Amino acid sequence: MRRLVPIVLAATVLLAGCQDGGGGDSTASNAAFDPATCQGGTLTVLNQGGITHLDPARLYTSGGGNVPSLLFRTLTTRNRQPGEAGTKPAPDLATDLGTPSDGAKTWTYHLRDGVAFEDGTPITSADVKYGIERSFAPELPGGAPYLRDWLKDAAGYQGPYKQPDGIKSIETPDAKTIVFKLSKPEGDFPFLATATQFAPVPKAKDTGTEYEKHPISSGPYRVESYEPKKSLVLVRNTHWSTKIDELRYACPDRIEVTSGLDSAVINQRLVTGAGPDAAAVTTDAVVGPEQLAQLGTGSELDKRVTRGEFPSTTYLAFNTKKAPFDNPKVREALSYAINRTSVVNALGGSAVVGASTTFLPPQKALGHQAYDYFPAGEGGNPEKAKQVLAEAGLSNLTIELAHQNDDSEGVGPKVASAIQEAFKQAGVTVKLTAIDSATYRDVTGKPATQPGLALATWGADWPSGGPFLIPIFDGRQIITAGGNFNLAQYNDSEVNAEIDAINALTDPAEAAARWGALDAKLGKLALVLPLTHEKDVYLYGKNVKNAYADGWRGQLDLARISVK
Amino acid sequence: MTTAPSAPPVPSRALAALRRDRGFLTGAVIAGTMVLVAVTAPLLAALAGQDYTTYHDGLLDSARGGVPIGSFGGISGEHWLGVEPGTGRDLFARVVYGAQVSVGVALGATFLEVLLGVGFGVAAGLGGRWLDAGLSRVIDLVLSVPVLVMAISLLAIVPQDWPRPLLLATVIAVLGWGGTARISRGETLTLRTRDYVAAAQVAGAPWWRVARREILPGLTAPILTYAALLLPTNMVVEAGLSFLGVGVRPPTPSWGQMLSSATTWFRADPFYVFLPGLLLFLTLLSFVLVANGLRRALDPRQREVLR
Repeated sequence: MRRLVPIVLAATVLLAGCQDGGGGDSTASNAAFDPATCQGGTLTVLNQGGITHLDPARLYTSGGGNVPSLLFRTLTTRNRQPGEAGTKPAPDLATDLGTPSDGAKTWTYHLRDGVAFEDGTPITSADVKYGIERSFAPELPGGAPYLRDWLKDAAGYQGPYKQPDGIKSIETPDAKTIVFKLSKPEGDFPFLATATQFAPVPKAKDTGTEYEKHPISSGPYRVESYEPKKSLVLVRNTHWSTKIDELRYACPDRIEVTSGLDSAVINQRLVTGAGPDAAAVTTDAVVGPEQLAQLGTGSELDKRVTRGEFPSTTYLAFNTKKAPFDNPKVREALSYAINRTSVVNALGGSAVVGASTTFLPPQKALGHQAYDYFPAGEGGNPEKAKQVLAEAGLSNLTIELAHQNDDSEGVGPKVASAIQEAFKQAGVTVKLTAIDSATYRDVTGKPATQPGLALATWGADWPSGGPFLIPIFDGRQIITAGGNFNLAQYNDSEVNAEIDAINALTDPAEAAARWGALDAKLGKLALVLPLTHEKDVYLYGKNVKNAYADGWRGQLDLARISVK
Repeated sequence: MTTAPSAPPVPSRALAALRRDRGFLTGAVIAGTMVLVAVTAPLLAALAGQDYTTYHDGLLDSARGGVPIGSFGGISGEHWLGVEPGTGRDLFARVVYGAQVSVGVALGATFLEVLLGVGFGVAAGLGGRWLDAGLSRVIDLVLSVPVLVMAISLLAIVPQDWPRPLLLATVIAVLGWGGTARISRGETLTLRTRDYVAAAQVAGAPWWRVARREILPGLTAPILTYAALLLPTNMVVEAGLSFLGVGVRPPTPSWGQMLSSATTWFRADPFYVFLPGLLLFLTLLSFVLVANGLRRALDPRQREVLR
């Protein structure tokens, strides 16, 4: 018995160590945090981007600056943990992550007991089905497009207003059960079920396009007032309690979201923390150079910062159907020539971006495997690039690089200039083509108008390799009409078959390893030139407790923040 | 043709007055230096051993957002004015090449404006009633166009491979020659009532000879003064357009563009805002001083007031 003591002690020390490592900067404020007594106060959210349409059918996946999931519960949801643990889905309205059958072509969910809307009406499986059907309506565009492709015989469905019979491949045998019949195996279904289109909508309260003015809440808060893109005020939903939802703590009594602010203004207000700003956070304004210059200097600001990572890659997209990028040697030479340090600095420095040599960002959940087939080092290898070009018989190469005309999305003139200079060292002349950011994706996403070389970014719709690799490398996803993301216009039947095979896997760990291997295989072809991955650094007000970035989006999780 | 009654030349008295004018001399020295810097930019950059495009990543503190390492924006023996935050490009080279754009575009635009304005103004002044009425309405139209708004729209639609500085000068001039034209017309109307002009016309001189030999010399003083005032205005317009992102394309530097990118750095690297701001201020001040000196020396009424 006596020998137990040191073991327990050692375990305690270890645990404490883990907490220090994981909690990082926020351990001090978290020490006093208890979800049972955290209730009270008003949380202010200061954001750049606002919510244009507060309709669960129109919100894309589960984003929206982490605000929508305060209103809309879905079959599954993000499990609201920092780091790697946060990349897993958790059951929300459903009792579990779903039961696959028929080789992952059928997914069955059961609703948990006691769940209700803000008016006290119990939530049924028919409400969930109706919510999904609404997201197919052409009147309500904007939701994630996956279900149209995945659900059996649903591709042409026009929504419940035109086709009230509904989608046959979603079955509701009783009020608690909902069954999805898919046209092909999809092991990632529990991830997609986190999207807001899986939120229940009571058919009796549906007012079509007017529904967004007051969407019926199933979450801890309900809408008090909403002005699109500008402001949103949330108050408590009295029919919600922690008994029917263990994932959301819902500490503040009131949440006031103000949008349309400038990033520099938001961060300055958070630093100053005057009045209500002391209880303020942001979910989309990463710190700028002004704050970075103060961070890590032992200033008071160091206690009010959280760091997260959103799986996202900024890269150069080669159009392999267009000369000279149809020549692999050209793509390889440019891969050797790139100076990633310049690109990192152009995007805000090593605190907010990291250099990437792989297309998959470094998150384990996506199956990241390290590779660097065309080593450029930190500052580029122009000599090797020149050599590769000379071997291919190419000299005095002049190429055009398309980029957005502003830097707000990280694919603007700053990054383009850095790349221009890096390629110049390898004897390649780059002409910059600025395209208006409003039409940039229309131009690059249409093979007929797509430039030979373009700056692009890609973020994961959920933390898995599938949504990261499929739109970019699946040859069947080349869309000639517009909205194409397979910018390499790469179509290989072997790769397509491997994608189908991985999609059928229901074990995320097994799938992740295969996605990673596929990315490593594709990397050898230099179809894309990965530049950087995203890191997020967010400040928060001094009265804010339990603030941490979740592992799914890398943003502060509003459902767990306290301002008491 | 007799040339006995001729237009009064710029009197040597005016030059003497300018030589005594301390404000003018200061302005002229600064303005002259800026023009010299602009003209010799490649030479100066070569002297410093730098160019305006090379990135120096090693001189930046990447973890702190890319601010230059060291004080005053990383001033060193190699980088006389430090380096640009975020890129590490040499600021001395960027400043001298930026002078090329700022001073060059302002001078070019002013020159074009004078050319257009005097041409239209003299033609309206010397022409018949109908020509005068027609041209005057055109001048009114040009004067009523909001320059900055129109310039932004024009610059946004032209193809990107057109030479930007030339384009900037042309756009600024095409939208801004109205004032010069109106002054030229007014002066021409006054001058044509003078005896020596009437004499030339009676003697049967064609209109273009009257314009060149009798009117233009009389226009020199007011137009020179007005042009000296236009120069800083055009410089501000160029800086404004570059600040708004429709000026010269990267990597070509311009002071307005530097000010624009400096807005995100003004706390982390104050020197970076200070530098283009100070240069713009000094250059504008010098041109205004020169213009004021010219006005004092050349304007007869002003001279009488001063006496």
